Amino acid sequence: MVGCISIEKEKEKEKEMEVLRLALSASQKGRLISAGYTSIASLSSISPSQIALELKISETEALEILKTVSDGRRLESNGSSGTIVHGAQSAWDMLQEEETLVRITTSSADLDNILGGGISCKEVTEIGGVPGIGKTQLGYNKLTSIFILLVFIYGVFVLCVLPTKRNQFSQYRIQLAVNVQIPSDYGGLGGKAIYIDTEGSFMVERALQIAEACSDDMVQYSCLYRKGFQACKVRGQPKDFLENIFYFRVCSYTEQIALTNYLDKFITDHKDVDSPIQNTNQMAIFPSAMNASKSFELFLFLFVKVVIIDSITFHFRQDFDDMALRTRLLSGMALKLMKLASKFGVAVVLLNQVTTKYSDGSFHLALALGDSWSHASTNRIILHWNGNERFAYIDKSPSLRSASAPYSVTTKGIRNSASNNKRIKHM
Amino acid sequence: MQRFQAADNNGALKSLKEDYEIIDANFLQFCSSHGILSVFFIYTVEDFLVHDVCTLVASTDQLSNSDRLKQVYLSSYECFFSMLSWECYQDKLLTAYGETSFDMLLQGGLHEGHVTELVGPSSSGKTQVCFQVASNVAMKFGSVVFLDSGNSFSPTRIQQIITHISGSAENKINGILQQAMRNIECHAVFDIFALLNVLHQLKLNVKSQTGYQVRLIIVDSVSSLIAPILGGSSAQGHALMVSVGYLLKELADKHNIAVVVTNHMVGGEGGTLKPALGESWKNVPHVRLQLSQDHASKGYAVQILRHPYMVCFFKPCGAPCSWSGQNTKYQSGHI
Repeated sequence: MVGCISIEKEKEKEKEMEVLRLALSASQKGRLISAGYTSIASLSSISPSQIALELKISETEALEILKTVSDGRRLESNGSSGTIVHGAQSAWDMLQEEETLVRITTSSADLDNILGGGISCKEVTEIGGVPGIGKTQLGYNKLTSIFILLVFIYGVFVLCVLPTKRNQFSQYRIQLAVNVQIPSDYGGLGGKAIYIDTEGSFMVERALQIAEACSDDMVQYSCLYRKGFQACKVRGQPKDFLENIFYFRVCSYTEQIALTNYLDKFITDHKDVDSPIQNTNQMAIFPSAMNASKSFELFLFLFVKVVIIDSITFHFRQDFDDMALRTRLLSGMALKLMKLASKFGVAVVLLNQVTTKYSDGSFHLALALGDSWSHASTNRIILHWNGNERFAYIDKSPSLRSASAPYSVTTKGIRNSASNNKRIKHM
Repeated sequence: MQRFQAADNNGALKSLKEDYEIIDANFLQFCSSHGILSVFFIYTVEDFLVHDVCTLVASTDQLSNSDRLKQVYLSSYECFFSMLSWECYQDKLLTAYGETSFDMLLQGGLHEGHVTELVGPSSSGKTQVCFQVASNVAMKFGSVVFLDSGNSFSPTRIQQIITHISGSAENKINGILQQAMRNIECHAVFDIFALLNVLHQLKLNVKSQTGYQVRLIIVDSVSSLIAPILGGSSAQGHALMVSVGYLLKELADKHNIAVVVTNHMVGGEGGTLKPALGESWKNVPHVRLQLSQDHASKGYAVQILRHPYMVCFFKPCGAPCSWSGQNTKYQSGHI
């Protein structure tokens, strides 16, 4: 009996301050509690206008509060779903899923190799680089580094817009095998890119140049392996690639944060531009006409697949007196980007500047924005010079070995390093 | 502990009679008679220990062979107490890292009911240790809940580690692998409210359903969730942080779950690194381990910053670690 009573009491005690753990602002919570609404149950059967009246807030705000409350309730009631926590996924299922996940190639085989196939969707990858160490050279180096970064990133995003040869092929095979299926299954192939420019260093000419090289490669490829694959020639126009790049220019850190918050909605909105449903209908009507090139084309330009921020650092490295505020803003933004990556399966690529860091009696390269930011991304890649060659080095990754690989920058974009003597080096 | 629980099920101290000669018929009689006298029953060793020593000793006076009983009682009390705490200790240390040098440093491994914090700069191996612990527990003990705030949960890596630990042949591994990987559950959390929600759900589910057998909860990383709300003019962030800490501790303690959280390092005074989240978080973890990477030798080291019953190593590279070198780590799929 004693036990029963204490459990009851405990339950009541738990319910008392349920409101505290809802995702509401502090003032909203304060108002709710002082009005006597402490448990979620007390808010379940109440109209927004009544709340608005009692809390002296606008009705839209009251609606928002009730929505948060019902979200919280739904989570609780759905507890019995096979998993311990609602919405969780077992590692086994994730493994199966990961095997079908497409990676975005960097178009340098060596680089792809150390990256486990390319830049991973669903993860946040941070890339930074400066050639050489030395403070006196910094001014010059900075310029060069920006250039390298840009070239690097153009290569990545143009290739993202255009499905890679290998992926295209495998995807194509899958499509043949499963024939008409849900289009979103193939969403991993080809997509749109969002390019957020903070420094004003985006060069359309260069992007076009790389796109041209890409489409050339692609036409060559299709001639070689898939005769009569004309769709590629039509689709592969360089300017089509540029059409699939959404460019944002942000001029202050406030804009940058606002844009990060808006991206969620933007990606959702752009999901339905080439409506997959419409495509399915087409296929349903003409199932016999479903040939390879058509199905390939259907899924070619569907969703936003990569978000690039060039660079994440720029606005946060200047005019910031309150470092604590900076840390808060940055870590908040990092979580938003993480959420974006995981929710939509997009690859988030952040560009960062580089500083040198002194530790254990030696200098070594480190990305800017400090120690707390260093935890913000899933993977970190540092680009550096070694002799006359450019190297990419994996500084941090939960699933990849730290390794470095050479690459070179050509007019076509990123390619394998020309010299053969320097290969991948695993640390 | 398990043995005592077995004794509990049988309902008597009698089952221990063979093991300990000190428990004789007289003693048992005393216990049961005392049980009748004081309404509470002394059946199990735990009951025995829960009773106030002085009252029991005093109550022996009323019996005829009081001296003998008193002596038996006191010595058995002592014996049981040391035994119980030892057994508790052994039992709770089941959740081991599965890695000799790490386990040796911690004298056995992770402690159930404790919140263990891994703190270290980026790429110091925090997540890798989490993976290793998760794989090990999932293979040997029970379910693992992995709360991921950095999209860093890598099933492929887990697969590598499990394959390495089991060390069994290719054809056999699939069953073990699937079983172990089904035992690990990952949930992405991207804000503190999501974390609170998940922890509350866990609390409810662990309480109501016994079938789950959650043995380990990992939050990687807790600091990236707290950092955006901490500080500034509002105290709400602080309150939320404390409630997360409280919830974790409660889960660990009430349901005997080992909890592992990871924390960042931030620059302190004089450029030295210190664990993030400040003073009021400091008392949340029972055990605090600092991981570090030596850039020159590419080796890794772990040192104990805080532990309830062990001496802390303050010197850098407090313990030599055989999981040093990502090289071996990745080649063999083993930390």
